[in-house]
Amino acid sequence: MDDLQFRRAIYADPNNQDADCIAAQQADPSKKQFAQDICQLDEKIMRALQVPVPEGLSEKLILRQTLASHQIHKRKKRVHLALAASVAIIGGLMLNFMQFSSAYTNLGDYALAHVYHEQGDFANNTSGQVTLASLNQKMAAFDGNFSKAFGKLISADYCRFDGMKSLHLVFQGKTSPVTVFVVPKDEQLRFSPTFNDKQLFGSSIEFKHSNIIVVADKNESLQQWQQNISETVTWSI
Amino acid sequence: MMTKQVRYEALVKALHGDLYRYAYWLCHEKQVAEDLVQETFLRAWRALDSLKDEKAAKSWLITILRRENARRFERKRFEMSEYEEANITDTQSVTTEQQLENHWLREKIAKLPPEYSEPLILQVLGGFSGEDIAAMLDLNKNTVMTRLFRARNQLKEALEAEPVKRGMYNG
Repeated sequence: MDDLQFRRAIYADPNNQDADCIAAQQADPSKKQFAQDICQLDEKIMRALQVPVPEGLSEKLILRQTLASHQIHKRKKRVHLALAASVAIIGGLMLNFMQFSSAYTNLGDYALAHVYHEQGDFANNTSGQVTLASLNQKMAAFDGNFSKAFGKLISADYCRFDGMKSLHLVFQGKTSPVTVFVVPKDEQLRFSPTFNDKQLFGSSIEFKHSNIIVVADKNESLQQWQQNISETVTWSI
Repeated sequence: MMTKQVRYEALVKALHGDLYRYAYWLCHEKQVAEDLVQETFLRAWRALDSLKDEKAAKSWLITILRRENARRFERKRFEMSEYEEANITDTQSVTTEQQLENHWLREKIAKLPPEYSEPLILQVLGGFSGEDIAAMLDLNKNTVMTRLFRARNQLKEALEAEPVKRGMYNG
């Protein structure tokens, strides 16, 4: 290792531990001296570089990070809250939609469902009878009137027909009760003139402000019922 | 979460001094150096999960800091003027000979071209090897060694060309 090479190596890294460098130092005292000089210089440089670090810098760094991550945490919490609120609103809307929107799209389907629902409540051979007067009293709410009684009226009561106030009449039929609904006209349910399923069939008569729906089992003559109703009912408007 | 906090605090405590000194020698201004260190550690916090090897933490932080420093130049180039020599001297009263010499040497180091002083600071202050420095500064190792050689050479020459102060020191 020549002198220039040695000097370059020491200058570049005074703590050079290369075998060549160490050997050169041991072989030549002046090289050893030079290396020591540069080591001293490095110590001085080291001392000079040790500028004082501002007091409390590490605390400041930790504080700033804590604040920053707290901000992020807060922002995240806000996002979570917003998400939860959205989910709650959507849930509420869905519930609302499912509960209060009609599951049936036409009069017939709803009428059938209604009749099935209350099937157990009426027996065909019930002794009680509702008078024409009390029936007409109830019909007054729909501005309607029956001029004479037809069939044996077992029950007459207001009920909810897909959320609308309507009159629910149950007549004695041949084998099972015949149900007649007086329902105000409504946009939601499509008018269905006739409808049926395995057991029951029915038909609707359209009047100016109301529909009258007859549901009976298949032994009845719907036509007869329709005719009776059409002939006796009068509307005051 | 807690372990991340602990890791971060350990990182700050262990390395903030070195990093501040490095920043100081990069920009020669105390306030700017402090800002750089703050910014660096904040970025480090965000990316702490990407630091897998704790041994590499120092060079990782220095890399972030160098990037921050470069960004500072992009942001406010117009504010960057030639640094005043007054800025690089520390304000501590110069009392002992040791401090006098430190003070004098600081000026010399500050006057070195940055491409010479940076490897020197990394080597002396950071304790990095030639290879490490080459990787950090994106240079090849021979270039780094040459720059280190020139940096020390210039400092030594400056030291020897200062007979008055040397005389005071010696005698």
